[in-house]
Amino acid sequence: MRAVIETDGLGKRYRRRWALTDCTLSVPAGHVVGLVGPNGAGKTTLLSLVTGLLAPDAGTIEVLGGTPGAGQAQLARVGFLAQDAPVYARLSVADHLKLGARLNPGWDAELARGRVDRLDLDPGQKAGTLSGGQRAQLALTLAVAKRPELLVLDEPVASLDPLARREFLADLMEAVAEHELSVVLSSHLVADLERVCDYLIVLVGSRVRVAGPVDELLAAHHLLTGPRRDPATLPDGLEVVSASHTDVQTTLLVRTSGPVLDPAWTVSEVALEDLVLAYMSQAAGRRRRDHHHLEVQK
Amino acid sequence: MIWLTWRQFRVQAFTAAAALAAFAILLAATGPHLASLYAASGITGCHGGTCGVAASDFLSRLAATGPYPIVYLLGIGLILVAPAIVGIFWGAPLIARELETRTFTLAWNQSITRTRWLLVKLTLTGLAAMAVTEALSLIYAWWADPIGKAIGLLGLGDGSSSHPFEGQFSSVIFATHGITPLGYAAFAFALGTATGALIRRTVPAMAVTLAIFAAAQVAMPLGVRPHLIPSDRTIVTIESAGLDFGNLTATVVPGQPGAWLISSSAINAAGQPVSDLPAACQAAFSGLKPSSPGACLESHGFREVIAYEPASRYWPLQGIETGIFLALALALAGFCFWRLGRRRT
Repeated sequence: MRAVIETDGLGKRYRRRWALTDCTLSVPAGHVVGLVGPNGAGKTTLLSLVTGLLAPDAGTIEVLGGTPGAGQAQLARVGFLAQDAPVYARLSVADHLKLGARLNPGWDAELARGRVDRLDLDPGQKAGTLSGGQRAQLALTLAVAKRPELLVLDEPVASLDPLARREFLADLMEAVAEHELSVVLSSHLVADLERVCDYLIVLVGSRVRVAGPVDELLAAHHLLTGPRRDPATLPDGLEVVSASHTDVQTTLLVRTSGPVLDPAWTVSEVALEDLVLAYMSQAAGRRRRDHHHLEVQK
Repeated sequence: MIWLTWRQFRVQAFTAAAALAAFAILLAATGPHLASLYAASGITGCHGGTCGVAASDFLSRLAATGPYPIVYLLGIGLILVAPAIVGIFWGAPLIARELETRTFTLAWNQSITRTRWLLVKLTLTGLAAMAVTEALSLIYAWWADPIGKAIGLLGLGDGSSSHPFEGQFSSVIFATHGITPLGYAAFAFALGTATGALIRRTVPAMAVTLAIFAAAQVAMPLGVRPHLIPSDRTIVTIESAGLDFGNLTATVVPGQPGAWLISSSAINAAGQPVSDLPAACQAAFSGLKPSSPGACLESHGFREVIAYEPASRYWPLQGIETGIFLALALALAGFCFWRLGRRRT
């Protein structure tokens, strides 16, 4: 299958700080990709590189086989909804649709009008007076009606209340099904993504920790519970993502390609949220150790 | 993109059109009367020495008549500040506001490259800025035409006399007439846009734009304009130079009506510059006949050295000054393209 996003050693630096490092990904087409990570992990940076708003400082990136943001044709193929869905406050809803119609050769006017009607947006209303949910819907309408092949959404639901959140995601999924879009959306909450994503990228501390189809990720990770023992004594092929110990018991989240045969362990399935949290805390732990190491050196 | 540019710009465009219309109405209301005063002054149809007298009378009467000195100065002031206003309110927010409100994520993700986005915005808004400023200048030139003619008859280039009216080479008249307003407007607008692209915040960009533009407006007549074309030099008699005995400088360039007197100084018989009245002539100066120092200086072999630009260099100087500002504007616009092209948002 063709890749919608193909990166190799991709990196982006702001002054001296790397916001994204050594990012190598190959995201196949036809997925709804969740990009998850804590605030400041580099999600917006990665999405800005995908849309071409930023240029990389290291490595390469191809989106739908082309250089992001290079030329009108490439821009037409990617729709983007930025964080907090910025719109022109002094332009009306109708003005925004006209803007989309004027600036996009592939504009689907019927789709846009239909969405605005269905969402009950008043065409004459100034966009600055819309609620957060309405603003997000308007921005999504602009992004969808240009009929892109890939839709990129940066924290689309972060500023919405739970009801608006659910409505927005349901509406998004409808559009995806209808127009056969590939989608990448980011969030710092797994719960937002769990219902809609079938592909997951976990980004923590400017690095990709794990990426893959959700069902494969769930199949490859297990929660092991057993008598207390040192994780270092585990057999090869088991990669420990996180470990916690009590006096008598050890709980491990491991990644493995095959089944776990050791009868000492009770094997159970992992929820997606636990899996993501394990990778997040693993990264956090590493950073704490690095920090500690530095302090010792001083 | 033209539609979007217009849609985002139309409030400013209407404001500018309203200001232009108000100015035009003010001038239209006072202009015909000014022209009738000129017609009645006896300047038309004068010959020889009567012209200077008639022109002088006309200007003195005008200076004392109701609104004319005020409208005269107001017009100059408006044409001087118009480019600054354009730079601050049209230029500075052009990119900075998009960055500040993050709407660039919307604008630059439509099926249009940001180079084209910027090209259309800069071209349309920039041309509007130049058109408005030049329109102000042209209707003002129509209104002030009788005044300019009268000053021309007096042979004053940059001359200031008792009235507020000044010649074509005076600092403010030169920058508000002819084609220079085009250059100033383009420069101020591009400066505002570039400052906004660099600072990325609208209000600080506005302040910086104003500071830099005001500095350029002062630096041009004081430091640059006199050197655009090497000035001519002439050595004349003390009497003909209409000497100001206070600092021994000339007030006219003899035989060069309408010339721009850039600098002048007295030299003694040996050709050395002198800055003070020689002792021998002090008595004459403080004596009963104040006109005698001239004769005294003449008799001691003093003469006046004058550096000037002849009136015929008015349009070449206008062309060069406008060209400088247009070139600066293009360079600043180029910077904006480079800045956006680097994709560091």
